[in-house]
Amino acid sequence: MSSGSYEQNPIKAFASEVWGSVFRHGLPTTDKVAARTALTNFFLHIHPVRVKKSAIRVSYTLCLGGLSFFLFIALTISGLFLMFYYIPSVGQAYQSIKDIQYVATFGLVMRNIHRWAAHAMVITVWLHMARVFYQGAYKPPRQFNWVIGTALLLITLLLSFTGYLLPWDQLAVWAITVGTNLGKYGPIVGPVSRYIMLGGRNVGQAALTRFYVLHVIALPLLGFVLMVIHFWRVRKDGFTGGL
Amino acid sequence: MAQEASSVRNARRAGMITTRGHAVRTGPELSSAPLVVRSREEEETVVTFPHLVWKEFLSGLAMMVFLLAVSVQVNAPLLQPANTAVTPNPAKAPWYFLGLQELLERFPPVMAGVIFPGMVLVGMVLVPYLDRNPSRRPEDRKLAIGLFTIYVTMAVAFVIIGTVFRGPNFSWYWGQVLGHPGLNSKV
Ligand code: HEM
Repeated sequence: MSSGSYEQNPIKAFASEVWGSVFRHGLPTTDKVAARTALTNFFLHIHPVRVKKSAIRVSYTLCLGGLSFFLFIALTISGLFLMFYYIPSVGQAYQSIKDIQYVATFGLVMRNIHRWAAHAMVITVWLHMARVFYQGAYKPPRQFNWVIGTALLLITLLLSFTGYLLPWDQLAVWAITVGTNLGKYGPIVGPVSRYIMLGGRNVGQAALTRFYVLHVIALPLLGFVLMVIHFWRVRKDGFTGGL
Repeated sequence: MAQEASSVRNARRAGMITTRGHAVRTGPELSSAPLVVRSREEEETVVTFPHLVWKEFLSGLAMMVFLLAVSVQVNAPLLQPANTAVTPNPAKAPWYFLGLQELLERFPPVMAGVIFPGMVLVGMVLVPYLDRNPSRRPEDRKLAIGLFTIYVTMAVAFVIIGTVFRGPNFSWYWGQVLGHPGLNSKV
C-alpha cells in the first residue's frame, strides 16, 4: 500500500499515529533500527544494544537466570488470581482453597500453575547458581552480584516456604512445624527466631498471618527490587561470555 | 593503580573498549558493521533485539507450555484440613529443606542445625572473596570445582533420600521404591 492511500484513510492514519506513539521504531529490519528499538523501548532497554555472541548461546547460560525471572512473573500473575479467593484465616483458609479448586473458573489450573512454578523456580534458581559457579562467572568484577544472587536464592526459598503453609491442610501445617523446628537449635537465636517467625510457640493464626503477609507483599517486593539490581549489575559488569 | 582501573572502567562505560580491552569503533550511529575490532571469533557481537530477545521469548514460551501441560495433568496436593492433634508420620519439611532434616537425623542438633548450615550460608556468600584464583578455565579451578561438586552431590542426594528413602519416624525405608512386601509388592 502506498503512503498516499494511508493519508487518505483517516482511520488508518490515526491508527498508525497511535502505534507510532507507543512503539517509536519499527521491527528490526537493519541493525540500526534494531539498536534504536532496543534503546527506546522500556522493556528492551534493560538489555545492552549489542551482546557477545558467545554470551547468549543457549548452551552457555542454559537460560536459567531468564527462566527464573519468567517463573517469578508467572507466579506473580497466578498468585494474584489466587489472592482474589484466598482467605488467610485458620477457620476459612482450607475452605477457600477448596473453592479455588472446585468453584472458581480455572481456579484448579491456576493453583496448579502456582504450585508447580514455585517448585520449578527453586530448581532453576539453584541450577542458575550452579552454572554461575561452574563458569567462574562470580569472579571480578561480578563478586557482588553473586552476593545479591545468594540473597535471591534465600528469598526464593522463603517465598516457597511461606506459601507452603497457606492451604492450612495437614501437609502445610506439619511441614511448617517441622521446618521451623529445624531452625530452633541455635543458642538463643534459634528459639527466638522461631518465636518471631511464628508469632507464638505453635503454628497458629499468628503464624498464618505472618506467613501470608511475608508471602504476598514483603518477600515478592524485596525479591523484585533485588532482581532489578541483579539485572542492572549483570548489564553494567558486562556479561561474562565464553570461557 | 586505582585511577588507572577507574579510567579503564570509564572507557568501558563509554563503550570505547570492550570488557576484554579491545578497541571499539564508536560513533553516533550504530551501523550494521560489527562494532568490535576483534581478535577472536568468540568476541563477535550481535544486536540484542532480536537475537537475544528471540531466545528469551522462545525459552519463556517453552516453559509456559511445560507448566500448562503439567498443571492440566497433575493437581497440587491438598490433604485433610489441618489438625494439630494428629501428627502425620513421617512428618517432613518441604523438599528443599530435607537436607537439613537429614543432617539433624545424623548429627547433634547444634552441628546439624547451626554449624553446618551456617558454614554453607556464610561460605556461599563469601565464595567470590575466598576464591582468589583469577582464572575461569576449568583446568585451573580443580579445587573450587571439586568442592562445589561435593556440595552439589550431597545436596541432591539428601533431597532424594529425604523424599524417597525416609519412612515412618524418618527412619530408613525401602518401601516407597520397592513396594511394601506385605501389601502391593512390586518386587
Ligand atoms: C530469583 C533468582 C534469580 C534470578 C531471576 C536471576 C537472574 C539472572 C539473569 C537473567 C542473569 C543473566 C544470565 C543468565 O540468564 O544466566 C543472571 C546472571 C547472574 N546471576 Fe542471577 N538470578 C537469580 C539468582 C542468582 C543466584 C542464586 C546467584 C548466585 C548465588 C546469581 C548470580 C548471578 C551472577 C554472578 C550472574 C552474572 C553471570 C554472568 O555474567 O555470566 N543469581 N541472573
